[in-house]
Amino acid sequence: MRRTSSDGVGAAATVVPAPPRRHRPRRARAADSGRGDVRSLTALPWLGPALVLIAAVVVYPAIELVRASMSDYSITGLRKGSAGLANYAKVLAHPDLGTVLVNTVVWVLAVLVLSLVISLGLAQLLGKEFFGRKLVRWAVIIPWAASLVITARLFTLLLDYNYGIVNRFLIAVGLRDTPIDFLGDDRWTMPSMIAVGVFVTVPFTSYVLLAGLKAIPADVHEAARVDGASPWQAYTRITLPLLRPALLVATVLNIIYVFNSFPIVYTLNDRNPGFAHDTTITFMYKLAFKSADKSVGMSAAAGVANVLLILVVVLAYLRVSRWREATDG
Amino acid sequence: MIKRLVAAAAAGGIALALTACGGGTGAATAGGSGGDGGKVTQIKLVAAEYSKDNTAAFWNKFAAAYKAKTGIDLNVQVVSWDDIDQQSSTMLQNNAAPDILNLNAYASYAKDGLLYSSDDVLSDAVKGDLLPNFVQSGTYQGKMYGMPDLSSARALFYNTDIFAKAGIAGPPKTWDEFTADAKKITALGDGTVGYAMPLGPEEAQAEFSIWMFNNDGNWKTDGKWTVNSPQNVDTLNFLKSLAVTDKVTQNNPGKTNRTDGAFPLFQSGKAGMVVGFSPLAATLDKDAKVHYATAPMPTKAGGTPSTYGVTDYLMAFKKPGNQDAVKAFYDLYYSPDQVNTFIKAEGFLPVTKSGVQYFASDPKLSTYLNTLTGAKLTPTDDPNWDRVKLAVQQNIGAAVAPNGDPKAVLDALQAQAQSGG
Repeated sequence: MRRTSSDGVGAAATVVPAPPRRHRPRRARAADSGRGDVRSLTALPWLGPALVLIAAVVVYPAIELVRASMSDYSITGLRKGSAGLANYAKVLAHPDLGTVLVNTVVWVLAVLVLSLVISLGLAQLLGKEFFGRKLVRWAVIIPWAASLVITARLFTLLLDYNYGIVNRFLIAVGLRDTPIDFLGDDRWTMPSMIAVGVFVTVPFTSYVLLAGLKAIPADVHEAARVDGASPWQAYTRITLPLLRPALLVATVLNIIYVFNSFPIVYTLNDRNPGFAHDTTITFMYKLAFKSADKSVGMSAAAGVANVLLILVVVLAYLRVSRWREATDG
Repeated sequence: MIKRLVAAAAAGGIALALTACGGGTGAATAGGSGGDGGKVTQIKLVAAEYSKDNTAAFWNKFAAAYKAKTGIDLNVQVVSWDDIDQQSSTMLQNNAAPDILNLNAYASYAKDGLLYSSDDVLSDAVKGDLLPNFVQSGTYQGKMYGMPDLSSARALFYNTDIFAKAGIAGPPKTWDEFTADAKKITALGDGTVGYAMPLGPEEAQAEFSIWMFNNDGNWKTDGKWTVNSPQNVDTLNFLKSLAVTDKVTQNNPGKTNRTDGAFPLFQSGKAGMVVGFSPLAATLDKDAKVHYATAPMPTKAGGTPSTYGVTDYLMAFKKPGNQDAVKAFYDLYYSPDQVNTFIKAEGFLPVTKSGVQYFASDPKLSTYLNTLTGAKLTPTDDPNWDRVKLAVQQNIGAAVAPNGDPKAVLDALQAQAQSGG
């Protein structure tokens, strides 16, 4: 923002013939007092495309979403009129809402925490010099680069009860006598989804943390070593505190990313009837297209609630973690 | 759809994706009206994809023939079954309905007053050629709105090698025989499953229907919902006992889908029996791995077997100036050259009397054709069914779990059906 407006002033100065030297202070003051007008107008051509894009991609769909959430739709998708807040009331009264919310909390927390822990270790490893590091770094990126739907579909094959290689392996090495129904057994479905969620979240998290590690100056560690800190002390007292900005970024982005993750939950869970393992995102989708509710309005209401929910969660997290201090300091 | 969801999430947040998608699909819909006298110069068809190889190929050829005959452009959009509900719903939200939509339901659209009835767009010759049970299932409140495009009928598929190994002489005729045979097959061990039962959300209503019909049950009887009739509770209890007490099904039948669960078990020779239809037969013939035969379904007491029939629909949306174009579409589609070519390529069954004659020479189809005219269908003529079907898909699997309660599940579905969906 600051840069754009000073460019604006610069541009104005080149258009206007250079004023005599003694007028210079006055002009500067005039530009200052006239903030608003000159700056916003001259900035518009530069901001315009971005504003149009934001309006078209973010603002317009958001308005449409809210409008849809307050409309009454036939099962065919035909809009029959206004519904006021009835859709919101129906979503709140939905018998499976509690299950879905608990699932969402479990899913987000488990994937987030496990990914962070694993990524902390992985980032340390990737930061070290060793033979084949390039290969390992590439290998870590692959789950991230692959389409989530493909990854999820692949895991349904790996975890299959009848043919899945995971069960073949467990039986072959004698850990199990009978296969595990990873995706159908209610005790295993959520853990299986979480495992896949962690698998696709770790690459991004690792690279954020790796970047954070690389940003820690070597002399701090050197000083710690000179002062006689053990490796563990160095890690907990020096590395982790200095990693805090990277950890914060990884956490906030992952909360949003995992919360909004549709393909994994939907694909791994597609054989299970009802809402027993759905998160708020797949709940919203099923409300619109798969459940007996089949209501675009309810789904839109759930969508609005999703946005508000994630906003509140992220804001609360930023407040608790004192985001400004960490990133500015 | 899912890909688009992901892309939209990257752009601005997944919660906005539903509406974002809406804009995308709606914008692609052709307007089509205009020209002289308010007649359209092009119409749009949204067709379901029955197979990657044949569906688009057929409709594109059809569009060329239609253009040659009428001079009107036919824009064809082929959509996969996974997406077509979303797409059609989105088109309607955006007031951008196609002229012709191919779907497995029509009654809700008729109820919303969106469709032409057969009086408007079918010639008498065409209507007279349609099989009466399909005319009936396409009729809502006395008028026919759902024009059948093709049909399928289910039959019991059994693996003849497994039957021989287990010492079973022929396909079971009663449920008792069925249970006994399934036990013998399961006793062969090595993961062999007596009966592959798909009651997962993909198409649970089909699996339950065929068993229900062979115990003299039905979804509706004399115009009233009878989802939780004593026969139906009995049927679902029987299915549960197969899964839980006798353990002759695959693991977790309430969470097994048809195409990625039950069929692969049969195709890999692991299941002795499965309820299948002609496309499954085509796949099995192509693989040439499993020796199988088909038979009518066993009935509870050994009476006359009932077949479960399915038809999908080609419905026409009322839009200014498109009536003649739509009528020409149906005239061409139901000409024997077109409809039979399509059905043959896709491996399904005819919906017309002339089609039944045409296919009668194919010995592979005789099991189905003989029963087709008497096939029972789900109550697709009731708009409530569109919701009940979804409720069945999402709930009935729970009944065959070890702690499942068939009666309670059916009671809840009955309540849902009666409450107007």
